[in-house]
This record gives sequence, structure tokens and C-alpha cells, in this order.
Amino acid sequence: MGRLSFSDTRHLVSRTALGQQWGGVKALEGKTRAEAINILLTSAAPKTPPGPRLTPYANIKRMSMQNGAGKKRARKMMMQEGTRLKRWWMLHLLQNDTPVNEHLTLFWHNHFTSSLEKVEQPNLMYTQNKLLRDNALGNYRTLLHKVARDPAMLIYLDGSKNVKGSPNENFARELLELFTLGRGHYNENDVKAAAVAFTGWGVDRNRGIYRYDAKHHDTTPVTFMGQTGSFSGDQIIDIILQKPRAAEHIAEKFWKEFISNSHPEPRYIKQWGAVFRQSNYNIKALYSTVLNSEAFWSPKYKGTLIKSPIDLVVGTLRALPFPKLPDSELVHISQLLGQDLFDPPTVKGWSGGNAWIDTQTLLVRTSLLNKLTRHSQASAKMESYLPETTGEEVVKWLLPLDPALPLPVTPGKRRMVRALMLDPVFQLK
Amino acid sequence: MNRRDFLKYSSLIPLASVVPSAFAGTQKGQRPDQIVVMVELKGGNDGLNTLVPFRDQDYFSARPSIAVRNAIPLKDNMGMNPYLKQLLPLWQQGQMAWIQGVGYSNPSRSHFHSIDIWETASTRHDEERGWLSRVLPPRPTSVNGIVLGDNNLGPMAGANNSAVAMEDPTTFLRQTKYLNKKNFKPANASLAHMLNVQNQINMAANELSRIHKGRRSPVKFPTSRIGRKLALVSQMIINGMDTPVYKVSLEGFDTHASQTDQHNNLMNHLGGGLKAFSDAMKKAGLWNNVMVVTYSEFGRRVAENNSGGTDHGSASAHFAIGGRVRGGMYGKQPSLTPQHLKDGDMIHTVDFREVYATMAQRWWRRPNPWEKQFKPIPFV
Repeated sequence: MGRLSFSDTRHLVSRTALGQQWGGVKALEGKTRAEAINILLTSAAPKTPPGPRLTPYANIKRMSMQNGAGKKRARKMMMQEGTRLKRWWMLHLLQNDTPVNEHLTLFWHNHFTSSLEKVEQPNLMYTQNKLLRDNALGNYRTLLHKVARDPAMLIYLDGSKNVKGSPNENFARELLELFTLGRGHYNENDVKAAAVAFTGWGVDRNRGIYRYDAKHHDTTPVTFMGQTGSFSGDQIIDIILQKPRAAEHIAEKFWKEFISNSHPEPRYIKQWGAVFRQSNYNIKALYSTVLNSEAFWSPKYKGTLIKSPIDLVVGTLRALPFPKLPDSELVHISQLLGQDLFDPPTVKGWSGGNAWIDTQTLLVRTSLLNKLTRHSQASAKMESYLPETTGEEVVKWLLPLDPALPLPVTPGKRRMVRALMLDPVFQLK
Repeated sequence: MNRRDFLKYSSLIPLASVVPSAFAGTQKGQRPDQIVVMVELKGGNDGLNTLVPFRDQDYFSARPSIAVRNAIPLKDNMGMNPYLKQLLPLWQQGQMAWIQGVGYSNPSRSHFHSIDIWETASTRHDEERGWLSRVLPPRPTSVNGIVLGDNNLGPMAGANNSAVAMEDPTTFLRQTKYLNKKNFKPANASLAHMLNVQNQINMAANELSRIHKGRRSPVKFPTSRIGRKLALVSQMIINGMDTPVYKVSLEGFDTHASQTDQHNNLMNHLGGGLKAFSDAMKKAGLWNNVMVVTYSEFGRRVAENNSGGTDHGSASAHFAIGGRVRGGMYGKQPSLTPQHLKDGDMIHTVDFREVYATMAQRWWRRPNPWEKQFKPIPFV
């Protein structure tokens, strides 16, 4: 197999990490595909830095029980602490040494959605975030079993309200529809049966942990996907994961995240799904197959993905030596851009693709990039941090395709970087 | 960029597949004949103190300190908050319709979640597009909607991107200054989408900069925030902006404590602003082409709380005004008898999508996307 060119490695890094840092792109130049992918996927174990200081839930609960004013104060406090948590993740996104793992953490946050708005307790969202990070490149089966017991998820999808005699189908439905099989691959009776199996799974909000309550668990035998028995939730998950479709569903999500927003090519999904299932749901095995596929490298799909707000904000600030913006401002910008960390808009997460860019967000994107690249004393300093290279290579570094607009004719590193960042093609990866 | 350039480039983009119907006559960028102004009452308007059941003993028992005691009688047991008195002539002329008991099943008491339900017309929390983007086809020559005073496209959010949101036209024009104005050849579908969005914004900006210098209504608008926004809307309509929907909002309805003065004040701003707006439209001969409709995330709890306010509730009354509105009372006022309430809240009698269905089918003559479940109401 041939050796990777600079624009090949830029393609690989910009789609898998967070932004295309010059050094990272250069380091992989000249390697084979397999070597480069192997290097990317064998990074150090991810670290989750300690979270911001959060008030114990029991104290907040006590405050809100006092009276109307206390309730208001408690709500305000949780909002503020939620914002603190968003800033914490933003900072970690900017500073972490394991961007490939972090990118996948965000991917799983969008797959196993939960939101502060519903969960209300920032400490539970922190716990879930750590769970996703620790397992981002691990085993999907393990991750799914853990997510089903995750306190934030149990609150977000009303699992903790799902009790014997009064089933709540929310979690069971999303488990089938969003987490594993997708619509059309199960029926309403499967949803009802799965809900029965998960009865009794709940949360101890004060201690922030999973709690199983046997007296709320319904042991009535049910028929789920053709099998009859008195199932536990864990058994339901394992029955689902026997279906080839479960692996293919995740393969489709990888297609959307790493290849293209267009309809997946079925032959790839079949093949990737098979690899994933045969590896007993090893995420790294799936990811490696995706990155080694012809689809990933096909010119047809190069430069077709629209950068998410985090790609744009974090990726740009990691790749280029701009003066730092306060993390609170970055959180606010990503909210305006439609990606409010820890608060995905719906249970399906952010729909992404073309939806990232609308009349509102295009203006915010433009004004952010304009602000970053505008001439100022602070920005003059960045000149010396820009790589010494040809203009041609700078274009290849910053854009996945040829620029859509004419480039400046007057020379100057910063002028060139500004022109490239304001080019519509900069919004793509 | 002139309009012809845009049309030339628009053949590259999915907008070309537009199916016009009610808009067939307005394809050349003229003012549409059926305009809607949505007024969002942010925070959850207390419907019971807006349209007041002033002969209902249960109402007064539930609200010993905040009940409205001097409601303006409209019909039967229902009266209007006296601070809305400026709208009374519209009611008397049969141009104001009240829709009572508007809500939905299993109501959410969360501001965010419930407004999301109203704006997407989905109770399942699985839809990101605003409901209007399912009713109105994209317009090749302009945007479908303008949101004033808010960053959120709300009911007009959606993949066809046919709306712009702005604090006000001046701010918007300043923001769009940095946006690329040049056309480019899109190398793929994502770039074509970006070009489309870019053109939508630039088109709206062109229109707005024209109207910005255009004529103003001789009618004097109140200086309240909503008054100023409605003045801007009237200016856009009068100068022939090619846009069928406007959205403005009035904030401050989350009245958990000492609500009476606060709520009366809001009613006064709302009534005054809309009175001026209807006058301006009448003077311009456009009142038959416009309908104003209110919405809010929820109503408030029937019983007042210990702080002289009300907590988040469920169903609420809303109204529509306009030259072609068929005035009167629609829907059914939910019972306030304690045993008929659910967790202290009224049970809705009209689903909010019946109001949307009315706008789609009876105002715009468009298909009703909720045809199977929700029928229109004959208020227009």
C-alpha cells in the first residue's frame, strides 16, 4: 500500500481528532494507512479531570423543599452548576491529550443522549460523561450494560419511573429504536416486554448511584423477540445484541460521523456490522475497519462533512495559535451554534449534517471566524507560531478541498490564514 | 447580488423543487396576501387572568388574592382582563376570536420542554423542525419568516432554512456585513446547502435594507418593547416585504410571585401594542391580509401559591385578531371544580395543533399535516 501524503494525513486527523494540529498531521505523513490508523487508535488511556465543585443533591433538595423562594434558589443553583460543568468539558475538549478518544466521547454523548435540562443533577451528568469517556474505545456490549444502569440515563428516559404495575416504556423504546436496532426492526410488543424486564431499575439520587428494587421488579414471563421468559434487563440487552442489525445500526452511525451524511452504502454496513459482531462489539475493531475502508478515503466523500460546532470552535482553537477566549464565552458560542454540551435538543441528539448550518448559525460561525482572524495586537503575535511552509501546503492543511473563493494576491501568512478560514470550504472536513 | 443572479445559481440547489400553491401569485417577491404574526407570551401566560371566568365561584375560591374582579364581560361567563381594554373595539367588531382551554395531553411543566412541544408540534421530543416548516413550502424569492427580538427560529426552525431571526433589522444588517456576498460554484451538496443559506440571509438583508429606509406607518406605537417590535413588523408589511410569517415575543409571564401588577402591566403592553398594530394595518388597507395569533408554553396552576403568584400549569386561553378573523368564543372553558382538575391543573379541551391546523388549512389553504388527529376550528 502507498504512503500517505500530507493531505491524506490531514483528512485522517481532521475527521478523527479535534482539529488538525500541524504537528499531528506532519507526524503521520509518509506512513501507510494501517500504520497511521494504528498510531491514532493506540493513544494513552483517557483521563477525566476532576469535575467542578458541585453541591450535594441532598442539600439542594432540602433547599427546594423549604418554600417557593428556596425552590427558585435551588433551581438557579443547579443551572449555574450545570453551566460550570459545561465550561469544564469545554476546557477539557481544548486541552486533552487524547483527542481521538475525546471525539468519540462526544459521539457517544450524541448516541446515548441525556440532558441536564431533564436530569437536573450536574453530578450525574459528570458521572455519565466519565463512563462514556472510559469506554469510548472499549466494548459496546459493556458500555450498553453500564449505560442501562447509569443514573442520568435512568432519569432522562424515565427508567426510574418504570415499576411493576405501572410500566414506563421510554427507556425500552429508545433502547430498541435509538441505541440498538432502529425503527422497523422490532414491534410494540417487544417494547412492552422489554419495559417489564427493566422494572425495578432506579436511582438513589442522594448518593448518585444505581439502585435495584426487587419489590418493583415484575417477574411475569414475557415474549421478547420470539423468546419467552422472565427476563432481567441484562438478558434483554444480550438478546438484542445477538441480532446482526444491532451491529449494523452502530456501523451506520459511524458512517454518518466519519464518512458522509449521505445514505450509507449497504455493502460497507454489512461488512462493518459483521466485523463488529464477530469482535464481540469491540469498538476499536469497528473504528479501525471504518478508517481502513475505501469509503473513508474515497474522493467522493472527502470534504463533504459539515463541521459540528465543537469541530469548528475547539478544532480551530486547537489547530491554530489564536489568543485564548474564555471558556464561558466558548460555551455560549457553541450554544448559539446549536451544540449545547450536556443539553442535546432531543432524545435523538443533534441531527447534524446540513442542520448544523442555518440562517442563524451561519452568521454566528462567520462572526466568530471573523473575530478570531481580525487584525489586532494579540493576533499579530500568532504570526510567529504559524508553520514555516508554502502557501500551497497551508491551503492543504486548512481546507479539505480547493477554496471556493479567490485567495488574496497580497502575500502574508495571517492574511492567507484569514482568507482560508473565511472560505466556505473551511466549514467542511 | 441581484435577484436574477440568485435565481441562476438557485438551479443548483434543492430549492428548485418547490411546489407553489397558495403562493403561485406571489412568486415574484411581493407581499403575500395571508400574513401571520405570531406573538409568543414567554414564561407561560396565566390564561385564567387573561380570559377570566368571572362568574365561576371556583375561580375566586382558588385565587382569593389574585383573582381579576373587574373583568370586561365579553360573552356568557367569560370576561377579558381590563388591561386588555384597548382590544375591546376589535372584539365588538367581531375581529377577535378567543380559543379556550388550549393545551395537550400529559402536559410538561418545563418551560424548555413545553415550548419545544409547541414549536415543533410534537409531544414525543423527537422533532427539531418547527411546525411552520411543515406547513409552508420554501420560497425561492425570499424567506418564509422573520423572528424579531429573539435568537431562536422556534416555529420556523427547519432544514429548508427559510427564516431569519434577529434582535432587530439594524443589528441583523450589521451582522450580515461579514457574510460572504460572492457567489461560488458549490463542489458538493454540503457547499450547495451553505450557498443556499448564505443566499437566504443576503436576500433577507437586501429586502430589509430597502424597507429600513421605507415608509413608516403614521400610527404612533407605544414605546414598550413589544410596541417597538410591532412597529417594525408593520413597517415591513407596509413596505411589501415578501414574507408570510413574523414572530415577536413578550417576556415576563413566569409570574411565580406577586403577579397582579406584573401581569396587568404585560396585558397593558400587549393590548396597547396590538391596538396600534391593527390601526396601522387598517390605515394601510392591509388588515384583511393579516392575522395575529398568540401562544405560550403553558397556562398556570388554577390555585394561587403562597407568594401571590401562580406556578406552571397546563391549558390556557389564546386569541387571534385580524380583519378576516371570525370573532367569538371557541373551544370550551375547562372546568375549575377541584375534582375535575388534574394535579391542580385544568384539563385541556382544545389541542394546540387544532389552532395550527386552522392556520394551515383555513388561512393559508395548505394541507393540514395533522389531518388524522386534529381538525381546524372555524375562527377564520
